[in-house]
Amino acid sequence: MLFSRSWLAAYVDLPDDVRALAGRLTAAGHAVEGIEEKGDDVLLDVEVTTNRPDCMNHLGLAREIAVLYDRPLRLPEIAPAEAAERSADAAAVEIEEEIYCPRFVARVVRGVRVGPSPAWLRDRLLSIGLRPISNVVDVTNFILWEMGQPLHAYDLDRLAGRKLHVRLARRGERLTTLDGVDRALDEQMLVIADDERPVGLAGVMGGLDSEVTDRTRDVLIEGAHFHRKAVRIAAKKLGLHTDASHRFERGADVEACERAVTRAAALLAELAGGTVLAGALDVRGIQAPAWPPRGRLELAKLNGFAGTEIPAGDVERWLTGLGFTLTPAGDPGAPAQTAWDVTVPSWRYYDFQTRHQAPHAVYPQDLYEEVLRVHGLDPIPAALPGIDGSDGPRTPQQALRERVRDFLATCGYAEAVHFAFQSRAADARFPSLQPGTAPQELANPLSEAYAVLRRSLVPNLVESARFNQRRGVPVVRLFEIGRAFFPPAAPNELPVQPEQVGLVCGGRAGFPWQRETELDLFDLKGAVDGLAEELGLRLAARPASLPGLLDGNTAELVRLDRSPAGELVGYFGRVEEEEGYPLFVAEIALDGLAGGDQDLRVDLPSRFPGIDADFTLTHALTTPWAEIDRGIADQAPPDLQAWSLKDRYRGTGVPEGAVNTTITFLYNSRERSLTQEEVNERQSALTAELSRRFGWSV
Amino acid sequence: MDQAETAGLAEAGALAGRFEEESSRVADRAAWEDLRLRWVGRKQGIVRTLLARTGEVPAADRRAWGQAVNTLKERVEGRLAELDAVLTEREREAVKRSAAVDVTLPGRRPLVGSLHPITRVNREMERIFAELGYSVAEGPEVETDYHNFEALNFPQDHPARDTQDTLFLKSGFLLRTHTSPVQIRTMLARKPPIRVICPGRVFRNDNDLRHSPMFHQVEGLAVAEGLTVGHLKGTLLAFLRRLFAPDVEIRLRPSFFPFTEPSAEVDVTCQSCKGQGCAVCSGTGWMEILGCGMVDPRVLDECGIDPDRYSGYAFGMGVDRVAMNRYGIANIRLLFDNDERLLRQVHG
Ligand SMILES: [Zn+2]
Repeated sequence: MLFSRSWLAAYVDLPDDVRALAGRLTAAGHAVEGIEEKGDDVLLDVEVTTNRPDCMNHLGLAREIAVLYDRPLRLPEIAPAEAAERSADAAAVEIEEEIYCPRFVARVVRGVRVGPSPAWLRDRLLSIGLRPISNVVDVTNFILWEMGQPLHAYDLDRLAGRKLHVRLARRGERLTTLDGVDRALDEQMLVIADDERPVGLAGVMGGLDSEVTDRTRDVLIEGAHFHRKAVRIAAKKLGLHTDASHRFERGADVEACERAVTRAAALLAELAGGTVLAGALDVRGIQAPAWPPRGRLELAKLNGFAGTEIPAGDVERWLTGLGFTLTPAGDPGAPAQTAWDVTVPSWRYYDFQTRHQAPHAVYPQDLYEEVLRVHGLDPIPAALPGIDGSDGPRTPQQALRERVRDFLATCGYAEAVHFAFQSRAADARFPSLQPGTAPQELANPLSEAYAVLRRSLVPNLVESARFNQRRGVPVVRLFEIGRAFFPPAAPNELPVQPEQVGLVCGGRAGFPWQRETELDLFDLKGAVDGLAEELGLRLAARPASLPGLLDGNTAELVRLDRSPAGELVGYFGRVEEEEGYPLFVAEIALDGLAGGDQDLRVDLPSRFPGIDADFTLTHALTTPWAEIDRGIADQAPPDLQAWSLKDRYRGTGVPEGAVNTTITFLYNSRERSLTQEEVNERQSALTAELSRRFGWSV
Repeated sequence: MDQAETAGLAEAGALAGRFEEESSRVADRAAWEDLRLRWVGRKQGIVRTLLARTGEVPAADRRAWGQAVNTLKERVEGRLAELDAVLTEREREAVKRSAAVDVTLPGRRPLVGSLHPITRVNREMERIFAELGYSVAEGPEVETDYHNFEALNFPQDHPARDTQDTLFLKSGFLLRTHTSPVQIRTMLARKPPIRVICPGRVFRNDNDLRHSPMFHQVEGLAVAEGLTVGHLKGTLLAFLRRLFAPDVEIRLRPSFFPFTEPSAEVDVTCQSCKGQGCAVCSGTGWMEILGCGMVDPRVLDECGIDPDRYSGYAFGMGVDRVAMNRYGIANIRLLFDNDERLLRQVHG
């Protein structure tokens, strides 16, 4: 928001150094974002925060400067010569929506000659980038930027019945606003109407029909106070944002209406040669909050809140300068003043919302803020609070998540972070851990590409893998831990938002020098198996058919060591659609990884040497390893300590439809050295049984 | 001395000379082996042949003959042993030479992955605040209007909401615009003293070169009896000095947030120029780093905490920009492209 230095100087003596002024304003909560010289003048670009509509005009900002520099504030003189005729005889006002319109003030100026404004007024407006239009319009704009009160000037002769009503629009009513747009109104929009039709959108924009023109003789100046909600509703619905609505939406000064209207009337008489009718039409609606807000300020509590000592004299001088009324409170016999009852000035009512339970009463913190803003926060000494100990440990979920993250990074995966939203098509392309649910849809998505919240981490991971593939990255290994979003458990509850772990890999890792490997499904599954081992839990793969994944290369992951046994916790598989090297994906619910065996003890290795034995079983391709593995476990002879898959072979010498599975067995005893003969005996009994159960036969 | 004797001794002498000459030409194991076989081989070695001829020598000469042949034999064997030692040493050297590798060849590194820049910065912040006694609080990313706005003193239909560019769900819920709802959930669930930080993903309806619709925040909250603005400053200073450098200073510019009063924007000494002024900080020497303030009494009231007895402070900062500065990532969008060539460079 632009402020002219010469305009500000009309109300307060400014320091010579404009940069120092900018710094002081910034330190008091009015951030000066830019300083620009413009002719003889200097423009300050001030970011006025939404809670300070009272500073969105020159007089308001000058008041702050006066306090910051301890200088007097010069208010404009308002004393128009009045005619005998009364405004109340020339026009009438009726507030029908009393909550939406706490006050409506109007004055009539007769016999104006509409024409250009004098140079000083045009210069003022031009200095802050406003276009002068005519003396009548310029005066209303000037008052807005001087005092902050939005005004509107009507051609009195064009108001049917010479009466204004503050009411809601009626069904089917239309209004052509000053910008020339014909607008359909609805019954939630507050309008100003004459006896026949709407003539303005309250607090937003006037109507074209009642606009002041070259032929206008008598002018009615409106200075009203509208509830910010009423203004916001109409402004939002119609997509209109004006200087007036900007102020009303943030809260205007209910007591400024009369002064502003009278000042405008006086200026109009001076510049356009009119006659100001006596008195103002001043109609009050209902002030919904109990104004004025008041509160008790105790110096000791203020200092206890700030963590510093602020002199009582400063508190009194600053608050008084800002318009607060201070009455001494507390112990009258005390040697120094340490408490005050403080009344908030009318231009700050909206910023000082009162406590629910206590009408009129403001929180003392609101007053502390005011004092500290002027005092500055930088001079307050830094200190650490004296709270002992720690607030608490990590939650089990946090600990689990970080363990999974570290483990996957150790396994060679790079951590990815994706948006929580994706396209509907991407959502439908891959499996979800809660199949059959509908995705959560955004009401105002950035685009169709971000239309729904993800139900799976996999679509984004595959998209990023493709992104890397297209850029020639020869191998991709990515993981992400993040939330997925599912319908709520009960109506009106928040969506279910569990954390999930997603993985994708593919491509050729390394060069021959690095002993390259072509990543396949079992590289991916190895990370999942390793994770299960790290967390002390048992996952099993169950062949499955899932969307987007290649049949015969896809499995569901079930948890075996937790009840209910066989609970589905994840899936993995090969992505069906290929572009470049094949991709493999997995997704697991983080919660599905919780509650593993917490026993940290290890199995101590035997002191005695073990004996290895290999065995190659030729069996049908359809016999899964899991079955053979279980078969070995069922038949395990004494001292069989471990067995692993050594190799799989299909080709010359292996019948069609069969596969050679080579398994290596390790026999080892804790008590003694085993002999080759006894191992041979146990091994041949075991392999005979395995051949009998699983062996290939035509 | 007869003819034969003289001839025999002369022959032995000549043979010694011949052996000397032949052995001097031995350069490798094969030549050595040839030499050995020719002179002391069991079947047709010259020395053996000479010994076999002993019977042909007249008895009187036998002794001298025997001595001469033995001298030759010892000489040959001694010389062969010397040559063997030299060759063995030479062979050992050759084996060593052939086993040597180029130690400057690259090692085969174990396959390791990487943590996302956001994770690394988050962890560092969590570690620092853990030292200061804070725990980590978390909450849902899809939130209610109440937790994201209403309880934080953003009234319905207030312009302060306009600055939040909220993404809504069709169900009426919204994607949290900050992690402040976690503060609300914490205060609703617990009694003071409270010290938590709230890291997490947040969302805005904003998507251009400088903005991402999803980004990351860490907020902090402390509520207890007697907390002051000075404590807020001390905590921020302790945090930022651990995060950036022990000598950074901070500057508080009063501002406005609905959920704190007083509120302030906090600047920290620019890390690019150490406060001297540079392009990064537009010559000011300061970088805007976070927002903070004393918890608004309305928020405390709403959460059932008596604002006349307790006070608190809160602060919030963007994680993404810290990560971008730290790793030299110019554009926030690059954080979420998930280009492995970038991700795998991130350390520390
Ligand atoms: Zn700098």
